[in-house]
Amino acid sequence: MRYDSPQLRDRLAAEYVLGTLPSRARRRFERLMAADPALARIAGDWADRLSPLDLATPTEEPPFHVWRAIERRTGGVPAASPSALRRWLDSLVFWRGLGLAGSLATAALALYLALVPRPIAPAVVAVLAGHGGEAGWVAIAGPKSGEVSFSAVAPEALAKPHDFELWGIAGGPPRPLCLLPQRPGGAVALPAARLPGPGYVLAVSLEPRGGSPTGSPTGPVLYQGKILIRAP
Amino acid sequence: MKSGYPGSRPDAPEPLEPLLRRTGRRDRAAFAALYAQTAAKLFGIALRIMRQRELAEEVLQESFVTVWERAADYDPARGSAIGWLTVIVRHCAIDQLRRRAARPESRSAPEEALSALVSPDSAETGAELRALQRCLDELDEAPHRAVLLAYCYGLTRDELAVQLAVPIGTVKSWLRRSLERLKRCLEA
Repeated sequence: MRYDSPQLRDRLAAEYVLGTLPSRARRRFERLMAADPALARIAGDWADRLSPLDLATPTEEPPFHVWRAIERRTGGVPAASPSALRRWLDSLVFWRGLGLAGSLATAALALYLALVPRPIAPAVVAVLAGHGGEAGWVAIAGPKSGEVSFSAVAPEALAKPHDFELWGIAGGPPRPLCLLPQRPGGAVALPAARLPGPGYVLAVSLEPRGGSPTGSPTGPVLYQGKILIRAP
Repeated sequence: MKSGYPGSRPDAPEPLEPLLRRTGRRDRAAFAALYAQTAAKLFGIALRIMRQRELAEEVLQESFVTVWERAADYDPARGSAIGWLTVIVRHCAIDQLRRRAARPESRSAPEEALSALVSPDSAETGAELRALQRCLDELDEAPHRAVLLAYCYGLTRDELAVQLAVPIGTVKSWLRRSLERLKRCLEA
């Protein structure tokens, strides 16, 4: 079949979006689009042309376990949380409010809360995630006013003579903050004033026992996260 | 027509296009934000086609795995992000239905729902839907139904032929002519 006739291209694109191309024809069309941006654009126009039909379809919150399955299948956080907590997360959908790191924060928070049960959701200041998206530590406002505590969620187990060191990065070179606990559930508190402001970055590097001897990171940065809020 | 969807609603926290592009660069935070902003709408669409929560959940899951895999292909010049996402969800749903030997009984008569679908009284559905509806109304009744049944419920050409009691060749030419007329009408 020749695909250079404008009428044919438009017709195939329209039926592609409508959903009436037989499966094999659809796959063939998708291969054609991958090599032909103009054809993909025609299909995109059809998608936008017909999509007002979706406006009248009521929205519906999917249950939280769908996202967990998506994260697992795409290599993200493989967190496991108890069912009571999951119900709580499902019902509150509070993770929508957490912004960019919302779902990471949720998974981390879920684990954190599983380890340290508390009556209300604490304010998440940052989630320090590894390169695969797995949470290592979560930073939460408190326990005292003006403090932020870093709780280990599931940092990778270390070969003995090493430490994880936390750094604040606010435009300039990384500033050393403290060593982080390695055992899940362990926590360390810092004055909030020592942390960079919202939007800036915290990073965790692998250092010799006792921390970097030079005052700058000497090992690889294994975890990082943005400051989401200023600690109250 | 790049606007008019949740990405451009005044209360939307972030436009979807940059999130989708960042997802294409393996940015997990952007992927999570994209999900948080679109999952409810896309789940609604999956439910509309699948009609069973469990199946719709599978479709949503499959769709976002596909989004993660294909996001690098997304190019804003090819249309809106929500349009791109919706096509993926609808195709995942259609694939699911086609894999199933028989559709649930209730699929044979989804037409009563169509009138509600295209004559919403809510003001927020806005000018885009009214324009599309006006053009759909210019089609003859049976081809009009064929387009809606295919788009909204994922009926195949064969199923449309059964549903509308016409030969499959008729379905094909109805769809072809209806889509041509729709485009002309919308561009007029």
